[in-house]
Parts: sequence; structure tokens; C-alpha cells
Amino acid sequence: MKLKKLSAPVLLLLPAFVVLAAVIVMPLLFSFYSSFTPFRLTKPETLWIFVGLRNYITVLSNWDFWVAFGRTVLLLTVALNTEMLLGLGLALLVNKATHGQRLLRTIMMFPMMFSPVLVGFQFKFMFNDNIGFVNNALQSLGLTDRAIPWLIDGNLAMISIIIAEVWSSTAVFAILILAGLLAMPKDPVEAAHVDGCTPWQTFRYVTWPYLMPFAFIAMTIRSLDVARAYDIVKIMTDGGPAKRTELLWTLIGRTAYADARMGMANAMAYVAILLSIVFTVYFFRKLAAARQQIGAEW
Amino acid sequence: MDINSSHRLRRRLLKTAHLIGLFLAMAVICLPGLWIVLSSLRPTVEIMAKPPVWIPESISLDAYRAMFAGAGQGGVPVWDYFRNSLIISVTSTVIALAIGMAGGYAFARYRFKAKSAIFLGFMLTRAVPGIALSLPLFMIYARTGIIDTHFSLILTYVALNVPFTIWLIDGFFRQVPKDLAEAAQIDGCTPWQAFWQVEFPLAGPGIASAGIFAFLTSWNEYALASQITRSVNSKTLPVGLLDYTAEFTIDWRGMCALAVVMIVPALTLTFIIQKHLVSGLTFGAVKG
Repeated sequence: MKLKKLSAPVLLLLPAFVVLAAVIVMPLLFSFYSSFTPFRLTKPETLWIFVGLRNYITVLSNWDFWVAFGRTVLLLTVALNTEMLLGLGLALLVNKATHGQRLLRTIMMFPMMFSPVLVGFQFKFMFNDNIGFVNNALQSLGLTDRAIPWLIDGNLAMISIIIAEVWSSTAVFAILILAGLLAMPKDPVEAAHVDGCTPWQTFRYVTWPYLMPFAFIAMTIRSLDVARAYDIVKIMTDGGPAKRTELLWTLIGRTAYADARMGMANAMAYVAILLSIVFTVYFFRKLAAARQQIGAEW
Repeated sequence: MDINSSHRLRRRLLKTAHLIGLFLAMAVICLPGLWIVLSSLRPTVEIMAKPPVWIPESISLDAYRAMFAGAGQGGVPVWDYFRNSLIISVTSTVIALAIGMAGGYAFARYRFKAKSAIFLGFMLTRAVPGIALSLPLFMIYARTGIIDTHFSLILTYVALNVPFTIWLIDGFFRQVPKDLAEAAQIDGCTPWQAFWQVEFPLAGPGIASAGIFAFLTSWNEYALASQITRSVNSKTLPVGLLDYTAEFTIDWRGMCALAVVMIVPALTLTFIIQKHLVSGLTFGAVKG
């Protein structure tokens, strides 16, 4: 009888609430608690010792942690911006093509469906200093006669990771921006032509504003799963050489499972979660604003 | 006359540049995949050859044969991993789809308090990095003894897929006009019948693509699976891929073959859903 009192949307959303609460929210609350304990996997009794903010203080005063944090933010900034630009370029190229658009679109989606593990492995193979495709090609073309240590040199390893990341995720931007281009009305562009705009001006002031919401959808989707980069890094370098590619996520994994310091790792994980949430909320807001602007103008 | 011909020349140049750009972009996208396929067909000697052998001299399916021959030869129980992956992905997709349909329908059709906040809240659960989520899940699953079972992974993937499924399905239901269901109800359908006989078939293709997307997420997931699975009981293909790496050596050819096995179903499914997926994600970008 009491069940009838619940309104339809509540009833419909209930399963989703239950599942998300059980598998994501509750475990996260538990890990929030354990981030205040010196919990080690090897010593279960340590779960009940409360140490207050000690883990957080240790983490936040740890130089390695901040280096990993900065590197993660750097990777995300460089990768997301590059993906955005390349995705835009790719979408414009495909949109201009007169023949075989369907085929081009399919090829464009190709990397999106590669599991990040596969992407990592694939680029590990291609960037291998001894037998990798890249070095083989460079040597066969006579551009260099020595093996470039792509994944062994710290800076080159970071670049290789960014290349892998960009390769795998540019498709998300390209596809969505292309969808925007296809959905765009033709008249404003023609009007701009008639009024004597240069191609650049037409793009900047007419096309781009239309594409903004689509770019933000892509950004939102990407910010939902930026941490997938963990898989790529884990496979390609596992944070090496000498921690030169250590990201927040690999550091968490190492602290938790290799060192078994769960309490400490959970404290780090919360910083990583906050980072993701800030990213997502920011782009979600932007998306809502862009939608409203377009809605008002159309 | 002169202006005409120079104009024509410029256009032709632009067109050629466009074609070259397009070709280069597509080559960069396709090359890594093709290289993997090619490497899986070549003997290890050729992969390792120095100077590199560009044109394969012999092609064979030995890697695949060794892989599917079972644990005895290749050392990696691919069949078990494949079965685990399939069971886990399919089950979690079906459940996520059922929950996502209910949720997506609620978002598309009803007005209620704090709607956009709830929607954002759902999305945020998806934003939690897998490795961060794996810590508490690992502890809880280990304590309750469901670690290294199909059940634990299925449960996890359902939760992982629900937010995005709701987003997609919400978009698809919004594309179905509200009046249709209302008309059906006036004609004597119950709301339940109206949903299944009118709205569901219309949103069907979209829901199917949401399902395929959920399937692929589960099929490809690594960060959580690598911690929650321990043995042949529940290891999935992405985790199994790492079986080919030893401490200092990697069986590149075997790994390439397994990679091809993983990617073929994913590519086929992507090809089927590509159109619906994009329209589901972008719906609302134009209509708010």
C-alpha cells in the first residue's frame, strides 16, 4: 500500500539509485573512512585505528605526490587541447569530402573502440626502441641511424604516452564536432559569405559558436573517463622510467597494491576523485550554458 | 582570362591539399591497427629482424592456432578469458539496460524536483577514476568473499554503465514525441502497454546502441578488472593480455593475435551502432 504512494519517476529511478549507492557511493564512503586510518592490507586490525588527518598531511607534504599531480594535470591539459584541435581539423576535413563520407566516418571511429589496454600495448609495440615500427621506419628512411629510446627516456616516454592518448581519443571530438557540422543550418554561413566575411571570420564568428555545445559534449564525455589514461600508462611504462611518467593514478595503484598501504592510497584517491569531479562539473556547466545560448539564438 | 586560370589553379591546389590531408589523417588512424594485424600473422623471427623486414615473406595463422589450442601450448587460457569476458559483458549490459531504460524514461518524460542535480549526480559517479574505486571495492569484495567471481565484476560493471546508459536513453526517448503514447492511452492502452507497444519500438534502435556501448565498456575495462580478478575463474581478456608479458620479454606475436581477437567484435559492433550513438549523444545540443 505504501509503495503506491511513490510517484512514477521515483519508482523508475529507484533501481539506478540502489545500484549506484551500493557499488559506488557506499564503497567510496568506506574508503573515505579508511583514509583516516593507517590501514594496511597485511594488517587487518589497523582498520580500526583512527589517525585523523595524518594520511592527508603525509600525502600533501609528499613531493612525489605533487609531481605526479602536476604531471597528471599537464598530461590532461596537453592531451585534451590537442585532441580538441585535431578533432576539429579532422571533422572539417571529413565534412569537406564529397565522396565516401560514410566510410570516412567509420574509419574515424576506429580508435574509439580500442580498449585503452590495447592502445597502450599497441603503442608500446610501435615505440619499442629495438623492433618498433617507429624506429624501424625512421631508420629505413635514413632519418636516423641510431635507435631512439622512446619509452626509456623520461621526456620521450611522456611524449609517447601523450601521442597514444591523443590517438585513442581524438575520435570522440571529431565524431561529435562532425555531428555538429552536419546539424548546422547552411543559411548563416551563406549570409556571412554574401556579407564579405573571409573564410577565417566565417569560421570564427559563425561556425564555431554553433559547434561549441558539441565540443562541450565531447569534453564532458572525455572528462567522465579521463582516468582511462591509467590503463595506457600502466601498460606502456608503468610510471617508469624512474617515475618520470608517474601519474596520480599509477601512484595510487602502486601505493595500494604494491606497498599495501590502503589508507594512504585512499587519501590520494580522494584527491584524484576531486580532480575528476571538478573537471566534470566544469564542463557540464559549460555545456548547459552553451545549450542555453544556442537555444536562445535559434 | 588570366584571373580565371589562376583561380582555377588555386582551387585545384586546395583540393589536392585537402585530399592529401584526408589521406594522411586516415593513414595515421589505421596504421597502428593494421600493423598489429600484420604482426600477428608473421613469424616472430621477422618481427624481431634487424634490419626490419617490411614486406612479409611468409604469413601464417600459427599464432592463432597456438592461442586457441589451449593452456598447453600457448600458455594462456584464451578460451576461459573469452568466456569470462562474454558472460560478464552480456549479463551486465542486459541489467544496465533495464535499469537505464527505467531511469532514462523518468528523465525524458517526467518533471521532478532537482532533476538536473540528480542527473549530474549520476554522471559524477561515472567520473570516479577506476583505480580509485577499485581500492574500496577490492577491500569489500575480499571481505565478503565474492572477489574473483563473475558476480562481483557484473555488479561493478552494471554500476559503471548505468549513468551513461541513462544519458543515452534519455536522449532517445526525448526524440519520441510525447503525444504518441498519449494517443495510445486514449485509444485504451494502459500506460504499460503504451510504453511497450509505441514508445519502446520507436526508441528501440537507440536503446540497442546504448546497449552495445555498455557492452563495449565492459568488454574493454581494465583498471577495475585487473584488481578484482585473480585467476582463470574471472579474468577477462584485457587482463589476460598481460599474460603475454613476462618480466623482461614479451611475446609480441601472441599478444598481437589476442589483440585482434579482442578488437574484431568491438569493431563489428561499433560499425552497427555508429549512427545512433552520435545522434543519442548530441540530442539536446540543438534543442536544449
